[in-house]
Amino acid sequence: MKIDQKLKEKIVKNINLTMDKNSDYVDVRYLSSDNSESIMLYNGNLEANDTTFESGIGVRVLYKGAWGFAATSNLDAIETCFSQSFDNAKTASKLVNVPLKMNKKPSHKSKFISPILIDPFEVPLKEKLDFLISLDDKLKEEWILQRVISANFQKKHTYFFSSEGTEVERKLFNVFASINIMALDDEGQMQSRTHDLFTTGKGTRGWEMLIEPDLFSGNIDKIKSELSELTKAPSLEYAKRSVILLPSQAWLQVHETIGHPLELDRILGYELSYAGGSFVDLDSFGKLQYGSKKLNVSAFGGIENSPGSFGFDDEGSPERNYMLIKDGLLVNALTSRAMISEANQKAGKEIFKESGGAARATAFYRAPIDRMTNVNIQPGNDGTLEDIIANTEDGIIVDFPNSWSIGSNREHFHFGCEIAWEVKKGKVTRVLKNPTYQGHTVEFYNSLSAVGDESTWHVGQVNNCGKGEPNQVMQLGHGVPVVKFDNVITGERK
Amino acid sequence: MIDNTTKNIILKVRDIAEERNIVASFSLHYENSHLMRIGNNSVSLSTSEELTRMDIEVTNGLRQGSHTQMGEIRSVEQVIESLEIAYEKALVAKEKDYKPIEDEVEEIFVENSQNDNKFNDLTPDFKAESYSKIFNSVGNNYNFSGSWSSGTTEQFIVTTKNKNSAYLVGTDQIFTIVLKHPVKSWEITATQTGWKKSDFDLDYVIKELKMYVDYYENYPATQIDIKDYTVVLGPQAIAEVIQMAIFTGFWGRTYEEKQAWTSKNSIGDKVLGENITISDDPLNDLTFKSCFDFSGQKRVKRNIVEDGKFVSLMYDSTTAAKFKREKTGHDTSSFSITVNTGSDVECPIDAVKDMEEVLYIPALHYINLPSVSKGIFTGSSRFNALLVRKGKVVGPIYSSRITDTFQNVFGNVAKISKLAKSVNLSNTYGRRAPVAFSVPNYMVCEGVKITDCAESF
Ligand SMILES: [Zn+2]
Repeated sequence: MKIDQKLKEKIVKNINLTMDKNSDYVDVRYLSSDNSESIMLYNGNLEANDTTFESGIGVRVLYKGAWGFAATSNLDAIETCFSQSFDNAKTASKLVNVPLKMNKKPSHKSKFISPILIDPFEVPLKEKLDFLISLDDKLKEEWILQRVISANFQKKHTYFFSSEGTEVERKLFNVFASINIMALDDEGQMQSRTHDLFTTGKGTRGWEMLIEPDLFSGNIDKIKSELSELTKAPSLEYAKRSVILLPSQAWLQVHETIGHPLELDRILGYELSYAGGSFVDLDSFGKLQYGSKKLNVSAFGGIENSPGSFGFDDEGSPERNYMLIKDGLLVNALTSRAMISEANQKAGKEIFKESGGAARATAFYRAPIDRMTNVNIQPGNDGTLEDIIANTEDGIIVDFPNSWSIGSNREHFHFGCEIAWEVKKGKVTRVLKNPTYQGHTVEFYNSLSAVGDESTWHVGQVNNCGKGEPNQVMQLGHGVPVVKFDNVITGERK
Repeated sequence: MIDNTTKNIILKVRDIAEERNIVASFSLHYENSHLMRIGNNSVSLSTSEELTRMDIEVTNGLRQGSHTQMGEIRSVEQVIESLEIAYEKALVAKEKDYKPIEDEVEEIFVENSQNDNKFNDLTPDFKAESYSKIFNSVGNNYNFSGSWSSGTTEQFIVTTKNKNSAYLVGTDQIFTIVLKHPVKSWEITATQTGWKKSDFDLDYVIKELKMYVDYYENYPATQIDIKDYTVVLGPQAIAEVIQMAIFTGFWGRTYEEKQAWTSKNSIGDKVLGENITISDDPLNDLTFKSCFDFSGQKRVKRNIVEDGKFVSLMYDSTTAAKFKREKTGHDTSSFSITVNTGSDVECPIDAVKDMEEVLYIPALHYINLPSVSKGIFTGSSRFNALLVRKGKVVGPIYSSRITDTFQNVFGNVAKISKLAKSVNLSNTYGRRAPVAFSVPNYMVCEGVKITDCAESF
């Protein structure tokens, strides 16, 4: 679908008119379609069978260092939307202590389409249901009390225009899915095992991803047998020991304690009234030993297939591939244009060279903020999961988060997981239920003692990262290997 | 706004659906809102939204399908198009193993009891000026952040079951300010909420911030020992922990599916302290009220916990149908949860003047549930948290984590304030859906587990 020429002319004309009123910068996102479909089978009952369609325009105006934003789903009201956005910026400019700047960028005209083979919205509902029902049939057991299979498909068609003359057209696709089963343990507590659709980072991300057994349905027998073991397992006892995180847990650890604290708007204090701040400050870059020498963290990481791979961000910057943490040393952040200019100005030196392409908005009616793209731990040299287990004296392996609670500056954390396996003298000895672990971020990453190789690495897909006011849910990815940390507090004090 | 033309289009399509023997419900949601964000003593964003969403659900015997469309309602044809989408989905859908309860607007409802006609005066200029006054009064040397969201929400619901309609119009605002010390990094906050413009009280905000600035500037900070404490929870912490407790303990579905921390109990069992009474009270003006739910059922006051005994559960339509229970008006996001006040003094610091050592933790950051079955929650202190000895403030505490059970924390409450506070629990992730709980100004909880304390705020 091409953008209607008249509409495009109207947008460009209004950008120019708004610039004529002494605006510093203007950009517009027009979402010609934003489709979402949710299907959920709960104990075989189709409890969600929903589609959502949104379409509209969002206008952002920078005037004397202050942002104004307005959005409308009514394309006949574009002029009003521009003037409301301009008026909002003008009011905002009356209370400006730190004027925001968009350092000039050359314009470009670009396109991006998520790699897909089969558009999930072209697959008939009947076929989708038949597939999910066939999985549900495999889950059925007398002792399994709850079976939840869910799938969510997303398709966005976005046009971006800026006062610099940049135009970007994007078609983004996402497929998320999850299988969750629950059963009562021998003490009458509900235990749970979950498998989320993941990607290898390569290949395509249409319907074909969901029906690839290795990524999704092929894990059913594994989670069933693990749940069965959990129902008879003892609880994890409180102790300091090594903790080995499988990728389905490690991605959330990275998300909460590396991703969020490295969002530059958060570091600069723009999220204090909601999400919180960061223990990282502008002085930390190039100085803070965030983790042990084994810790190498990238942004984007060239991953072609992930919800965090989107070509260009919502201010038209290309997504970039760069290191956030190198050999444990903090070197960069997740950034957008206005935030890097403010940070460099504040620091009195150039810490950040160019935007990391991380300005993202969840919908046409929300203004972009600094988000994660793909934040990844690079594979290491400590071998396979088996190798890491063999080199562990006293520890646990944990998988899949069921609780996460993080300090407001991301300086400390507490995680609960679905399952743990005890490791003694290099061998897995038994399954343990109700595992939790906690720590202080910098101390924890400095205790990183093993990083698994490529064979242990996969990309977790995230559909629900929340941030910002008004709140925005964002989709992103984390490529992570198996990782091991030593001397971690596990379990709860009696 | 949802004007008569729009309503008539929806009513016309409802009639067409009825003629075609389609069982459907139609729900229109309209919001007109403004949000100002503050960062680094500046307005970092001033944003307006005006959005209309239409939800249509079709029930075809044991099959259901639904569709949501955003955009102005302009014609009958446009609404029929959305109806067709939902209808097609309901034709293909898998049959349920229970009969869904069809939505039905029980009577003609009009809920307009919280619609302030002075709300238009809550302009972006007024907000910017108010923030500016606060900075100037409390001290421009501090770093201020905040947000101020205000808006009007309208809702209109009809079904093919009958000719009734339900309509709600209401205003709501939430104001937040965070003050951070630029070097020492401590943070304090003040919030205000309500449905009237006058619920924002500038002088009170300034007074509150100044009081905490005094504590944080003039008293030394403590990294507390990891042990059990008497903890005075403030309104935000009470509301958020109670929210978790009721949805994992008294939500019909969680209970019936044996996932709840109350699942081993029966109605009438004592699960919390006998000084705890919790209700859902849609007439409480400290909450955002709605006299009907999305399914069209009338909402009435219901006790959930009475003197520590749990006396009823909350059932939405799906759970009621599935487990063959009566639904209770809980197909809603507008919960009016009310935690009864006690008889103790209004001020938390006065309340603990005879107690050796207590922690005052008014709000918990990032609460989560490591074990729902056991009722374990965890979260950490952030703003305005103090160590108090014999009613005297010793000073602020570093970020400290509580990991404990609902049963313990709300089972050992020594004192409850006689003052009720409204705590706004709305989020703005999707559509505007204001929700506020009414809770005591504080609860003094004995033997609470502190499980971690950071080396900084
Ligand atoms: Zn997140």
